Amino acid sequence: MKKLSFILSILLIFVVSFLSAEEVTLKMIQVFTSPLRTKIIEEIIEKFEEQNPGVKIELISPPYETAYQKIYLMVSTNQPLDIVEVGDWSLSALASMGKLENLEPYISKSPLKDYFINGIIDAARIYKNTAYLLPNAVYVKTLFYRPDILEKYGIRSVPKTMDELMAFCKYITDPKNNQYGFDFRGKGFPTAFIDLVVTSFFDDIDPNNMYLTKDGKLIFEDPRAKEGLKFYVEFYEKTAPKDSINWGFDEQVNAFVAGITPYLFQDPDTTGLLNELLKNGVYKTAPLPIGRGGKAYPTFGFAGWGITSYSKHKDIAWKFIEFFNSPENNAYWCKMYGALPVDKRVYENDPYFSSEIFKGWAEMFNDPEHYQFTKYPLDNEAWSNWNQFHEETMQKVLLGKMSIDEALKEWAKFWKEAGLVK
Amino acid sequence: MKSKKVLFIFFMLFPTFFIISTLNIYPTIKGIILSFQNFTLFNFNRIKFIGLKNYIDILTDPEFPSILLNTLLWIVCSVIFQFLLGFGLAILMKRPFKGRSIYAGLVFYPWALSGFAIGLLWSWLLNGQFGIINDILLRLGLIDSGINFLSDPKLAMFSVIIVNIWYGIPFFAIMLLAALQSIPDSLYEAAEIDGAGPVKKLIYITIPYIKPTIINTILLRSIWIMNFPDIIYGMTRGGPAGSTNILAVHMINIVYYKNDYSKASTVGVIILTILMIYTIIYLRITESGVVEI
Amino acid sequence: MNRKGLISIFRWIGLLFYLLIAVFPLFWIFITSIKPSQEVYTFPIKYFPSKPTLEAYKYLFNFAKFSIYFKNSIIVSLSASSISTIFALLSGYVLAKTNFKGKYFLILFLFFVQMIPAYLLMVPQFSMFSKLGLINRLTGITFVYVGIGVSFSTIMARGFFLRIPTALEEAALIDGCTRLQAIAKIILPLMLPGIAAVFIFSFVNNWNELFTAVLFLNSEEKLTVPVALYSFISKAGIQWNVLAAGIVTALFPTIVAFAFAQKYIVQGLTKGALKE
Repeated sequence: MKKLSFILSILLIFVVSFLSAEEVTLKMIQVFTSPLRTKIIEEIIEKFEEQNPGVKIELISPPYETAYQKIYLMVSTNQPLDIVEVGDWSLSALASMGKLENLEPYISKSPLKDYFINGIIDAARIYKNTAYLLPNAVYVKTLFYRPDILEKYGIRSVPKTMDELMAFCKYITDPKNNQYGFDFRGKGFPTAFIDLVVTSFFDDIDPNNMYLTKDGKLIFEDPRAKEGLKFYVEFYEKTAPKDSINWGFDEQVNAFVAGITPYLFQDPDTTGLLNELLKNGVYKTAPLPIGRGGKAYPTFGFAGWGITSYSKHKDIAWKFIEFFNSPENNAYWCKMYGALPVDKRVYENDPYFSSEIFKGWAEMFNDPEHYQFTKYPLDNEAWSNWNQFHEETMQKVLLGKMSIDEALKEWAKFWKEAGLVK
Repeated sequence: MKSKKVLFIFFMLFPTFFIISTLNIYPTIKGIILSFQNFTLFNFNRIKFIGLKNYIDILTDPEFPSILLNTLLWIVCSVIFQFLLGFGLAILMKRPFKGRSIYAGLVFYPWALSGFAIGLLWSWLLNGQFGIINDILLRLGLIDSGINFLSDPKLAMFSVIIVNIWYGIPFFAIMLLAALQSIPDSLYEAAEIDGAGPVKKLIYITIPYIKPTIINTILLRSIWIMNFPDIIYGMTRGGPAGSTNILAVHMINIVYYKNDYSKASTVGVIILTILMIYTIIYLRITESGVVEI
Repeated sequence: MNRKGLISIFRWIGLLFYLLIAVFPLFWIFITSIKPSQEVYTFPIKYFPSKPTLEAYKYLFNFAKFSIYFKNSIIVSLSASSISTIFALLSGYVLAKTNFKGKYFLILFLFFVQMIPAYLLMVPQFSMFSKLGLINRLTGITFVYVGIGVSFSTIMARGFFLRIPTALEEAALIDGCTRLQAIAKIILPLMLPGIAAVFIFSFVNNWNELFTAVLFLNSEEKLTVPVALYSFISKAGIQWNVLAAGIVTALFPTIVAFAFAQKYIVQGLTKGALKE
């Protein structure tokens, strides 16, 4: 009997040690893949794995353009996946598939919850007013410019208004010398660029909806939209290369780096790339120029990690997400990759985020009178059809194949059919 | 004896046709079913049959006629010039010369590139501002300002077709070169005795002899080009303002922008139908059965 | 100058013209691949790097684990092309050399498969493979490639078999060989160039395949070369020098295979495929 119990206990120890030695492997997929980004995420994963023996995280990094398709197909067939990168524009689609875990219970228990910057968790609650992801970075467009190029033309001041920007751009534009002003975007989701200019002609945009005025009317039916769109077309016709109708992100950056177009509206993640291609201090940022409405309406873009509803390791997944958002890691992540941190403490602790490069954003955040943040109707099912439609009609306007009035009418019709106006 | 033969035939055919049925036909049937449903991400949990709605939506889209026209232009121009230039190259390479295999390696390599790489590479070469082609033309003084190859709607289709021609020349050259080399020299010798010049030899000997190759390569090539969005997708994504949009690109854009898998399948079924009709007509006109390949 | 001389000059001008058109982009990719990253976007354009560097190639193989992708691509392309070729030889033989009811239907069927747009198959294939547990497996992607390629391989192989006189085979049968022996001893040796041609066509297509691979492969250690190249285009822009280095590297095996097989292909096609 003694012998038996001895054998049994040996066996038990063996089984227990075997079980505890069993590794948990989480699968995690990113969307905005770039070699630089992959490296940073892997470093953070490594740190996490060191602190949590027995946990392994496998990062999947699909090419950016196909990433969403891949995620949709993977979750639709319940492929092994625990942590999913979710961007603001894909959040509603993924959440409506029922494949994302509600993170509210986790957030409400988390020590991080007291330190989120204003509005960020609200912004994440696009779909059914529930947070299905924890944002780890904020993307807000600002004005990038090249003082070295502009100085050649004697321009030393920064454009404060859209009219000033237009005047500067026109002043330096000289197609014979391949010099232009505005870094135009005609292809690959140009929506935000159009809207930034058009809405700047308004003073009453709904803080919850970029396409509505405060009294609930569609902006496209407002005469100010026509003025704004005309202005935007003028940027293309008078101050941008004709070729830019075919420009996406990459061409925009190329043109900026080459100095062909020294004024660029872009997100903070552009800094990661620019820092590699340009010497320190060659480019600067400034707040978005305000329009004739006396304001500018940037949006809070964000991305973060969500957990699949069918994950078997939700708690560990959350632990990692929390780890990723700790002030140290959030600072590291945003500094290396180029994004605005979501944790208030980072701005206080890390001087980098109050340095020269961040001037544009800092000033916008501290000037609520001129910079009113708003949101896209991302929860509307029509949103995913909007981008292509918007891009194509806009290109037609730029090519003179459609009038501004017609375009606005089409856009208004689109959003009325989508039920945007109550 | 007979049953043995049947068994033999069956086992020889089985691997190929089994794999084609499971990996092509079964998913195609599924895809056709999908085209009658409403599979978007928002409908993921409420997918249902919606009859012909997708087909009506796609076919009545005001852009559809121009997409169809672009597709026609894309296929006809690409195939004709790929064929003519490929044929020219094959004729030039027919007689052996020193270094021919190295020459072949260099001149045929575009065929070894992926469509995706070609699209990227050429959109870079043709860029209006910092493209090398414009730069060379400018330096040579042939133009005053950069040509907007990809952003001028009048030029964009022309540009992507040129790139496709560049890519497709080797295919025709390889196939036709092989065919040319199978023509017995005695035929030409006889013709020379009769005093035939190069043009006459081409028309009366070369072309009739390789006609089946020409017919079949052109058929296959046009089918492939119809289903080849890679170059356009990489260069213009169908723009500007839809001026280079062809059916195959339209299908990708529907997936990429709208995540509407049902509508994308609908376009796929339309492509398939057009190709079937095309093949039947083509085989009638050329009076050849595929059987004779 | 006599007419012959004139023709030969035209011929050389023509050959040179084709060479220039084909090689010019390759030359430019190569130049870009040895540029330091700061010089890729300079304006005016630099035609030669001020300091040629292997920076991009080092990056490919050290940081980007290109050697793993390369190995995967070789494994997948070789095995898929081999399987396709074998299957194609089996069915191509029967479709060329025997008569049975429904044969023409099967041949038309092979043509029909050429017409199916890849994107139509995407969703159904993915859900099928995920049920079979073949996502993120090199085996899975190999099967897909066989499925994509085997129909054209069969069309080609059948063409070659048609060229081989049936009399040869019958003679062997009379000599007391079994049918399989006749195939192995008489027909296969004659088919070698044809086999090479079928294989190379298949290899090039598999080597370059991107869209299925992107969806079906996940982990770093499973990716193929085209997927990796695609990853150099990111939201954060294109690293042109690295991408160029990748394209040059990716071209290498196909160009080598092609230079070797070129002789066979031309010879092989002469004997058969796509020719009546």
